[in-house]
Amino acid sequence: MFIGQDITRVDALDKVLGTAAFAHDLKNNTMLFACVVRSSRPHAMIRKIDASAALALDGVVKVLSHKDIPGENLFGAIKKDQPFLAEGRVRYKGEAILVVVGVTEEIARKASGLVEIEYEDLEYISDPFLSMRSAILIHDGGNLLSHRKVIKGDAGKGFESSDVVVENTYSTTWIDHAYMETEAGIGYTDERGHIVVASSTQNIHYKMKEIARLLAIPPEQVRVVQATTGGGFGGKLDVTVEGYIALAVYHTKRPVVMRYTREESFLGHTKRHPLYIEYKTGAGKDGNLTAVEVNIIGDTGPYISYGETVCLRAAVHATGPYEVPNVLVNSRMFYTNNPVSGAMRGFGVPQLALAHESQLDEIAERIGMDPLDIRMKNALKRGSLTATSQVLHHSAGLLETLKGIEPFWRARRKQGPGSGFGLGCMYYGIGNTGISNPSSCYLTFTPEGRVEMHSGVCDIGQGSDTVLLQILCDALGMEEMGIDLVRGDTDTSLDAGSTSASRQTYISGMAVCNAAQKMREYLEGQGYYSGKPLKDICREAAEKGLPVFKGHFDPPTTAPDPETSQGAPYATYAFATHMTEVHVDEVTGVCKAVKVHAAHDVGRAINVSNVKGQIYGGVAMGVGLALMEEFIPGKTESFDNYYLPTSMDMPEVEAIVVEDREPTGPFGAKGVGEPALIPQAAAIVNAIKDATGVRMRQLPCDIERLKLALEKNKIK
Amino acid sequence: MKTISFVLNGKKTSIEVDDNETLLGALRERLGITSVKEGCGIGECGTCTVLVDDEPHYSCLTLASKANGRDIKTVEYLSSSGVLHPLQEAFIKSGAVQCGYCTPGMLLCAYSLLLKNADPDARDIKEAISGNLCRCTGYIQIEEAIKNAAEICKCDR
Amino acid sequence: MLPKFASVIAKTREEALSWLSSLENPRIIAGGTDLMVKMRAGKQYSHVIDVAGVPELLTMTETDGRLSVGSAMTHARLSTSEPIIRNARSLALACGLVGSPQIRNMGTIGGNLANASPAADSIPPLLIHDAVLVLESKETRRRVPLEEVIVAPYVTSIDRKELLGSVEINPLRGYREGYRRVAKRATWAISRLGVAFAIKEDKGRFTDVKLAIGSCTPMPFRPKKVEDLLKGAEKNEAIITEAIRMALEEIKLISGIRPSYAYKLPVLKGILEEVLRG
Ligand SMILES: Cc1cc2nc3c(=O)[nH]c(=O)nc-3n(C[C@H](O)[C@H](O)[C@H](O)COP(=O)(O)OP(=O)(O)OC[C@H]3O[C@@H](n4cnc5c(N)ncnc54)[C@H](O)[C@@H]3O)c2cc1C
Ligand code: FES
Ligand code: FES
Repeated sequence: MFIGQDITRVDALDKVLGTAAFAHDLKNNTMLFACVVRSSRPHAMIRKIDASAALALDGVVKVLSHKDIPGENLFGAIKKDQPFLAEGRVRYKGEAILVVVGVTEEIARKASGLVEIEYEDLEYISDPFLSMRSAILIHDGGNLLSHRKVIKGDAGKGFESSDVVVENTYSTTWIDHAYMETEAGIGYTDERGHIVVASSTQNIHYKMKEIARLLAIPPEQVRVVQATTGGGFGGKLDVTVEGYIALAVYHTKRPVVMRYTREESFLGHTKRHPLYIEYKTGAGKDGNLTAVEVNIIGDTGPYISYGETVCLRAAVHATGPYEVPNVLVNSRMFYTNNPVSGAMRGFGVPQLALAHESQLDEIAERIGMDPLDIRMKNALKRGSLTATSQVLHHSAGLLETLKGIEPFWRARRKQGPGSGFGLGCMYYGIGNTGISNPSSCYLTFTPEGRVEMHSGVCDIGQGSDTVLLQILCDALGMEEMGIDLVRGDTDTSLDAGSTSASRQTYISGMAVCNAAQKMREYLEGQGYYSGKPLKDICREAAEKGLPVFKGHFDPPTTAPDPETSQGAPYATYAFATHMTEVHVDEVTGVCKAVKVHAAHDVGRAINVSNVKGQIYGGVAMGVGLALMEEFIPGKTESFDNYYLPTSMDMPEVEAIVVEDREPTGPFGAKGVGEPALIPQAAAIVNAIKDATGVRMRQLPCDIERLKLALEKNKIK
Repeated sequence: MKTISFVLNGKKTSIEVDDNETLLGALRERLGITSVKEGCGIGECGTCTVLVDDEPHYSCLTLASKANGRDIKTVEYLSSSGVLHPLQEAFIKSGAVQCGYCTPGMLLCAYSLLLKNADPDARDIKEAISGNLCRCTGYIQIEEAIKNAAEICKCDR
Repeated sequence: MLPKFASVIAKTREEALSWLSSLENPRIIAGGTDLMVKMRAGKQYSHVIDVAGVPELLTMTETDGRLSVGSAMTHARLSTSEPIIRNARSLALACGLVGSPQIRNMGTIGGNLANASPAADSIPPLLIHDAVLVLESKETRRRVPLEEVIVAPYVTSIDRKELLGSVEINPLRGYREGYRRVAKRATWAISRLGVAFAIKEDKGRFTDVKLAIGSCTPMPFRPKKVEDLLKGAEKNEAIITEAIRMALEEIKLISGIRPSYAYKLPVLKGILEEVLRG
């Protein structure tokens, strides 16, 4: 049995030795260095580019513009709308315009500073409200990217029958993924003439296809390899360095390396979407929720990235993990000239959790009910209907997570003034929303008698390589880890889809199970389970060619109704409850998260240590989201003023693992990556209210925002 | 250019460096020690941490010439005897490693702590790694690892 | 990536001084935690003179009741130095709160002073200890009170040819002394506000009060009028309220109204209340 054991990570040894080769470490001294020249304007026409001084510099090999792109100059995970290199117009500060290639980093960077660009500024659409009204169009089709609705029952009638109605507005800001390793990669042409790119990434097959389109060559002639990747959190889903590297290799025919500085990384990748959320909640005196109406307005920046995904996911998760008979959600995403927002751990759901959890506490307060009781009362459970009227047939462990927290909640005692406790709950659909999101893999044997797993799954630190091996071992009924892992390389694997949406354990885990079942049948036939050694089986098979077993899984979902979003957008959901104790210093506005209890229904914990690691890391990110992180374009573009939580900012965390098995998942597993973050900021904000009487509706509640709110409250 | 001599992971080393070169650059580019990482270049992340005379320093803010005559340790030192240091063992066992980008810096700070303080409490441990960011782990399993390793080191003594 | 420059490593004070006088556009580097960041952002010098290893700058001596602290002493050393903890507790505390462990192992008190940031943590404590800086060039040697050395944010009257050799401070014994600081995260963040204080009380009276406030005005300062008001006064809420009112007035007089004051002044008020009440 490997499932449920704390198998040590397969990648840990190299990492503690310092020998793991991250994308930053792949460089050698014969490689050219490429860097990007970016727009200094949020919205402008490019009138003139003068690269003569750059080209005149000794050691500059090429300066590439959109004109040098042989294929299509557009990329995008969902729709192809973003130029690799700007053509005539820039739509945000930081948009890539040129790629400068030099013989050293120093020369390339120096040359990129010598490029002169003349701009003619256009009106800067600085927020979605301006975007809504402005006559200036960021794209020809208008400034509205997407409008999704969730309509269930009749919200109007629901409010009429409510005893209490609470209505408030919440807002959140840009958050940077701030993985410790910035974007980096290398590229070269191999002996077959194929373009090879190795980078820090969350999705090799997608990037392979984008490079092929960019260079107008068949995808089979592109090989993308995942280097050891220093974190992702959604920020390494979109194409960044990979496209520029491929283009530079294409033109120079020489190996090329790129490495973003931290400042470039801040400018060069997407952010969490800032959302404005108008939220109205109705409930009966008994605490039963009667209706929810939500109006979400999002700032997606000038390009789509995952904007539509976030728009829809935020909408379908808007009620939180509760049974609400009447729901009306309008979720709209607008283009602006702000940073491109994209995928970040939770895809809009952490923002909504702030709103629905604050609302629920206010309802509870109004009717004099305990915050835990009101959550228990409304919790989704087996047989419940979600906001999209999906029936939860199984694995709906919210109540168990609430019960896990209950003893700590009931026993809570304030530690003097400034002390407070808050709850946050969440649910999260695993995998992409209402669309096909398959994963494939294949298994074979080595002539020496070992099983070989070929996996296209990108382990970005969350531990999927180890988890998939555990799943495979148990699926094959192996007694020891006799498996070789061949991973992260488009040449040797099938498309497993992105490492995102907490989907790899569930979806790729099932693909592995599917392949394992086929291999198991074969092994059965060969007498493996009656004692014949694998070595012998492989030796015999090798003569005929080793068999290959493909595995595939695509979770059963239905496309949301275009008008009402009703349907079953996810095959399964994860659930969680966090309880956070804070201490607020009313003199300084400093809020410290002191202690967190985090209960997660993960279906089945394949690897408890990994699950806990995800929970702790999620809590840390939640602390940052709640209390300090804020990307302000032009201001917080490096770590000297974009603050991440340190060890001293971290609360103590007690993780409680709930296992309500998911029958469609591998050995009952679902996912935990994003859920770990989602309820934490909400729990902190509720705890601040408990501690101070002040309700914070804007994130982050940094020391200044909180102190100002406390002062205002004093005057009242 | 300057020639600098120092003890690197227990071995005398001499290299030529540019006057304006950082220790981070010299270790990575000239000596191939890529366990020393760049995460920010301005003293705000800790992935470039090295030990200078057993105290953690940011090598991104250190001129290479400052290494002259000093004792420099990188994470390679911990296993230079051919076996894993108890800290490394504990990091693996406690799940202290996720993406691993912060790991070498964390290990070095932990090592430096244990040299000075064989019996660190939770607060000492938190403080010792408070100049090293980790975006993945929330620090908890790292702290557990350091605590566990301290116990083992104590017993070994 | 740093701009090009030549670097020299001074082994003695003499050597440093002679380079300072002979080189064209030299800059001293000690821990480098300020200078390296600036150079990475593009600041250029012909030469960088490393003084971090100069023995004369690494010593601490006590003469005539005054303490002389070598300018290249690091925050880590000062925060744990027994004589500093005994004689200048606020300084030990402030140095212990600078940056992160690595920054404290590298950054020096001399660099902190010469960089003259409004948020420099060592400055408020040094102000209440009446710090005098010893500035030396090849030809001259002068002793200048800290207050006079800092002339504007990030600007000092230290000549380009001068070396800050040491900082002399008045020990304070028998005072309730400390340093309070507010920052946007628990550690490793620049001060939004810093208050150094040393207070002596006897039988319900303030017998001596020294205060210095950092990160609030262009340069950290001592609200001397407030100190005078409190000196000898009976300790009660009325006088504390009046003292705080005066302090806030003085700040507004120095800097006018700034957007950040919406936050800083109420916080300062709260901190001063706690500090004065004790
Ligand atoms: C991540 C980070 C966090 C920080 N946090 C804090 C903080 O919390 N609080 C705080 O106060 N500061 C902080 N700083 C700033 C810095 O660390 C301190 O100011 C430190 O004391 C500077 O000392 P240094 O020796 O490193 O100076 P250097 O960078 O070596 O020098 C700074 C300046 O002083 C001059 N100089 C240095 N020594 C002398 C001398 N003997 N004679 C004449 N001139 C000299 C140099 O020419 C240079 O202009 C932080 C810096 C970083 C990078
Ligand atoms: S690279 Fe971030 S601290 Fe040195
Ligand atoms: S493990 Fe990824 S940054 Fe620490």
